[in-house]
Amino acid sequence: MKLVIGHLYPDLLNLYGDRGNIACLTKRCQWRGIEAEVRTFELGEPIDFTKLDLVLLGGGSDREQMLVCQKLREIRKDFQEYVEKDGVVIAICGGYQLLGKYYKTDQRTIPGLELVDMYTEQGEGRLIDNIVLKSDLVEMPIVGFENHGGRTYINGNRSLGKVLYGSGNDGQTKEEGVVYRNVIGTYLHGPLLPKNPQLADYLIKKALERKYQREIILEKLDDSQEEEANTYVFQRFSGEKEK
Amino acid sequence: MKIRGLLAIWAAKAAGAVCRRMGRQGVTWAGKIALKIDPSILEELSGQVRKKIFVVCGTNGKTTTNNLLCAALEAEGAKVVCNHTGSNMLNGVAAAFVLEAGLNGKIDADYACIEADEASTRYIFPPLQPDYMILTNLFRDQLDRYGEIDITMNILKEMIQKVDKMTLIVNGDDALSAFLAQETGKPCVTYGILEKTVKEEGTEIREGRFCKKCGTKLEYRFYHYSQLGDYYCPGCGFERPHLDYGAEAVKLGDQISFTVEDRRLVADYKGFYNVYNLLAAYAAGRSAGLKLEHFNEMLRKFHPENGRMEQFRMGQTGITLNLAKNPAGFNQNIAAVMQDTNPKDIIIVINDNAQDGRDISWLWDVDFDRFQEESIHSITVSGIRCQDMRLRLKYVDIPSILEADVETAIRDRIRDGVGNLYVLVNYTALFSTRNILKKIEGEKK
Repeated sequence: MKLVIGHLYPDLLNLYGDRGNIACLTKRCQWRGIEAEVRTFELGEPIDFTKLDLVLLGGGSDREQMLVCQKLREIRKDFQEYVEKDGVVIAICGGYQLLGKYYKTDQRTIPGLELVDMYTEQGEGRLIDNIVLKSDLVEMPIVGFENHGGRTYINGNRSLGKVLYGSGNDGQTKEEGVVYRNVIGTYLHGPLLPKNPQLADYLIKKALERKYQREIILEKLDDSQEEEANTYVFQRFSGEKEK
Repeated sequence: MKIRGLLAIWAAKAAGAVCRRMGRQGVTWAGKIALKIDPSILEELSGQVRKKIFVVCGTNGKTTTNNLLCAALEAEGAKVVCNHTGSNMLNGVAAAFVLEAGLNGKIDADYACIEADEASTRYIFPPLQPDYMILTNLFRDQLDRYGEIDITMNILKEMIQKVDKMTLIVNGDDALSAFLAQETGKPCVTYGILEKTVKEEGTEIREGRFCKKCGTKLEYRFYHYSQLGDYYCPGCGFERPHLDYGAEAVKLGDQISFTVEDRRLVADYKGFYNVYNLLAAYAAGRSAGLKLEHFNEMLRKFHPENGRMEQFRMGQTGITLNLAKNPAGFNQNIAAVMQDTNPKDIIIVINDNAQDGRDISWLWDVDFDRFQEESIHSITVSGIRCQDMRLRLKYVDIPSILEADVETAIRDRIRDGVGNLYVLVNYTALFSTRNILKKIEGEKK
């Protein structure tokens, strides 16, 4: 089996250790004897979405996001078709905001990809802290770090999880991220996947099942180190909240 | 000086003495007390400096550059006020002046060398009114505290423009720093490295890949590390400025040597990044009109004793302690460690206290795969976030030993009979680890 991962614009969207997510996805495939190929795309380069099984859209600064969004309009239609045909996408921080209709800041409105019915508006102050979620997608808690000035409103879409510690989408609803078809958007970096191996496997499984049109059961890996790192964050922060 | 200023100095000195006796550094506390009693104390004391005031800013290399500059000025016979320990926020800067002042409120200084935290420049620059500002580089660092680099650049630009008659001394090899300097419209002296010196490393995350002026991707004639090199923009023509102090014939190894202004400078340190620190200090001294005839002499005596490649010895174990607090710094540290081809063991200590940055995702922006070498016997991960560090290494196929307690980790390796041990630590782990090493060194004597 083979998985082709498209990494969009790592030159611009590479804040907060995003390449750790790529390392995690490829390693977890390779450890199971699944071939993993990463194709990186530069801004302006044509992207054939029919050749991709999993797309990663990372985070960048507001300025870099603005550079990206101008070009993203060119790939919007193909990207949307990929999403509507259950293509797997993981979008983080700035990439998450770009999934929606727009990101409105003090100075301007950055138009988004409109792949998911959601939007983001800049709020008072940045939401910066460790964060812990409970998600229906995986058993383990999801842990990470958030750092965003935007507040994201997901218009009745399903969230990635309930916030146990931290702020989440808007600091109010106690919901974090979005799940739409096989698209996951989230503010969590840390990077997201290494400490949340079940979520990494969820993405790999969905991508392989879509590609090979059958149920795939991933071989179990020794995740004791991943689990310990996850548990450490979970206990330190979501324990704090209950005091 | 008014009685209020004198009171501030006396109280701060008393506080400083008490803290030192209690074994704490106490420097920032002394500064805080002085400012509480007399908010204008920094302005008053810095106004007494006879010649020039230098400020050092930038993500990496501030402390080393500042201390080098101070030593270089002292080697020319000057008297200098300096915040040696790297306490670089307002309180630390005030303390450097207050503790240097006599009980009569007078400071006997020709120059001041002050390193300043970038975000604190807004409190430090107005009272200090520096004559020169050295800008070493701008890398990603503590994103949870400073936000994006663009935010730091905006603060610096605003503060630079608010100081009249200040000259910038800027690393021309850094497109971000050079752009910022240009934007401020201030007079500017540049330094950098004129020639290609290291083999290209392709994977490193580079900051500011895209021209700050027009958004086009920058091209490089050659490239040193991170985003440093000889860049140019195919879009708008923005390029590396002419270098006023350009280093040539750079040699790296157990020593660093290079030629600038037809002078050969030689220093006993490792680490390519130190070329920039040396150049910055040299360019600053020269810009202020000094001949710096004793620069090499100073370098021979200059031993950084602040956890920057600091050496310790315990019986048969030689230990090198070094600070590595962000991806650019850590990658340079790794390069310096790998320059040593002898067998070695490594301890990496990662904390996530407020001063470190609570967000440790930057570990994934460091090229740890360069530690996949036979000369490395073992890697021990320690500190508050040791589990994250262990996981980071797992994903480049490097197994590690986990020991959260730093002292235990060090003692374990000494007990193993390790001969050549590197301890790489981030910010808040630096002082505690240094104290542990001092303690263990004392026991073995």
